[in-house]
Amino acid sequence: MNGPIIPLHVLVLLPVLTGAAAYVLPRRAYQGVMLTGSIAAAAFALQLFISVRWGSDAVQYVAGWPEVIAIQLTADTYSAPLVLLTALFFSCTFLFSTMAGYMDKTFMFLFLMLESALFAIFLSGDLFNIYVAMELAMITIAILIMYKQEKQAVYDAMLYIMMNFIAMAFFMLGIAYIYRLTGVLDLQVISRRLAELEDPRAAVVPYAMIMTAVAVKSALLPLFSWLPRAHGAPSAPGIISAVLSGVQVKAGVYLLVRLHQVFAPVADTRLFFLILGFLTAAAGFLLAIAQKDIKLILAYHTISQVGLIVMGLNLGTEEAFWGGMYHMINHALFKGLLFLSAGVIIEDYGTRSYAEIRGVFTRMPVIGIATIAGVLGITGAPFFNGSISKYFIQLGAQGSLGELGLYLINFGTILSFVKYSTILFGTPETEPKPSRDPFVAGISLVFGAAILAGGIFGSQAVALIYGPSYSAAGALSGEKILIFAATLALGIAVYRFGVQRIGDFLAAVRGFKFSFNQITVFISLFFVLLLGFSYASV
Amino acid sequence: MASVAEFFSRLSLSDMAVGLFFIGLYGAMTQRNIIKTIMSVGIMDAAAIVFFVMINFEPGHRSPVAGTPADQMADPIPQALMITAIVIGVSVVAMCLAMYMRVVFRYKTADWNTLIRRLGD
Repeated sequence: MNGPIIPLHVLVLLPVLTGAAAYVLPRRAYQGVMLTGSIAAAAFALQLFISVRWGSDAVQYVAGWPEVIAIQLTADTYSAPLVLLTALFFSCTFLFSTMAGYMDKTFMFLFLMLESALFAIFLSGDLFNIYVAMELAMITIAILIMYKQEKQAVYDAMLYIMMNFIAMAFFMLGIAYIYRLTGVLDLQVISRRLAELEDPRAAVVPYAMIMTAVAVKSALLPLFSWLPRAHGAPSAPGIISAVLSGVQVKAGVYLLVRLHQVFAPVADTRLFFLILGFLTAAAGFLLAIAQKDIKLILAYHTISQVGLIVMGLNLGTEEAFWGGMYHMINHALFKGLLFLSAGVIIEDYGTRSYAEIRGVFTRMPVIGIATIAGVLGITGAPFFNGSISKYFIQLGAQGSLGELGLYLINFGTILSFVKYSTILFGTPETEPKPSRDPFVAGISLVFGAAILAGGIFGSQAVALIYGPSYSAAGALSGEKILIFAATLALGIAVYRFGVQRIGDFLAAVRGFKFSFNQITVFISLFFVLLLGFSYASV
Repeated sequence: MASVAEFFSRLSLSDMAVGLFFIGLYGAMTQRNIIKTIMSVGIMDAAAIVFFVMINFEPGHRSPVAGTPADQMADPIPQALMITAIVIGVSVVAMCLAMYMRVVFRYKTADWNTLIRRLGD
């Protein structure tokens, strides 16, 4: 196997350049051209993944400069699967919404620009390049979430962009410190030079600054206020929510993994992030249960799942680490599917309240099946992909306090999705409309099939994507299925007799919002805490 | 008072940039006026840029263009990078201001807390 057939920077630029070229074409042509560009990027990403997985890492120094000086692009075991996931995800969601009304020229162009920015984040091996790509993604997302300009969309986008701008200012100051300390921006060289430092404490301040920014991006506990606003924004079309929740949050988590390795000689903050992951997961599902808007339920739930992924990555055992990595992909699949189907449901019913939507199954059978597949995946039902990654994480946590926490998180997940699933049943108030879009049905079923396949061939999927092979047979043992059934029964019971009776309390939780000033205080507090913890750990 | 003046005179530009960064952060934490918070965030960004540009700088250094002897040249990398960062900063602040105008037209307030209350209606 000889390396990728196109240079990495061409892959990064492909979507945005196709978008720009297609921008001048007439309506009939441009959608086709953009779609072709997106699918071509997916094909190249697939080839890149194959060459990295069964060949060697692809490292490229842009413009032929030597190492250290050049901007470096790297595709390795961590980044290649995520690039492939991003490319496939964008192509599928693009196909999904080809007939939607909001898909005009500018929207599609921005959509492809976001794809390029995400590729750049995943492939960059250079701190400043990551900074630029993150800023690009941030601006694009802000425009996309206020695209339809309904209701409070502009406020949501403004809060999002200002919060992230503060995070990026931290990030840049951190980069500056690192550059002063090591004289380079290349991640691998930084890691080598940090190990040679006489006093590793010198790198603790930039470490805390950069990690604060990355924690904002990956929506950890006190810093997640932007996520439900961006992902659940009333005006954001379904595909934007799907892409943000499915792939964009993963960029933050990916940087968390990457930078942990770079800064391994400086500080060991695994315990900090483990605890934070648990708290994030718990807060996420508690807030999800309190929501009434189906998109907000899903958005808060993304926070909970990110917490679970961060827990897995920081438990310190190999199984849990790869379980977390696999869960990143699984979460993209089922949350993407849930958001896409939620978008269709909202458009069809004309409401976002879970109490007013009834009988999705009878009215839209395909969307109903897709939702069920997504729900089964996310709750970790046996035979679905969520069960495999959760099983691996649990395997890695065995015997520690973390295992108890995982049971609690799983219970919360099931509880919030019992609430979400109520929209499926009952009788719809109006007659079913004839289904009109073959792509919607087709893509939903593809996602559903991928969720099922990821569960049935769980251990093979991990081996195929990342390499290490663990047996996932335990995920299908009678004990696991019993535990799932028991948790499900408990979830339904608690929902019926507990959650439905504390409406006032939930309304209070729902109405509680943090102002911008409070959010900034949280960012500062997080920075100080992380700084203190890192100092103590050196 | 003399010691305070002495303390400040010993600060380098980099130290002041870090100070400026946290002044900006303080502004973002305390100001309720949206324009003031946008200014604070802009100050944080500018402070980070100043800090970056001052890395490896020594008095007597000249701009890194053709013709400057290598030993008198300022480090060119921060300068090249910060041009990019300045452009990004300007565009983000411009976008914040554009959104601010929309918000003010719709909700008739420039105060974060009042804004949150009016969103619910």
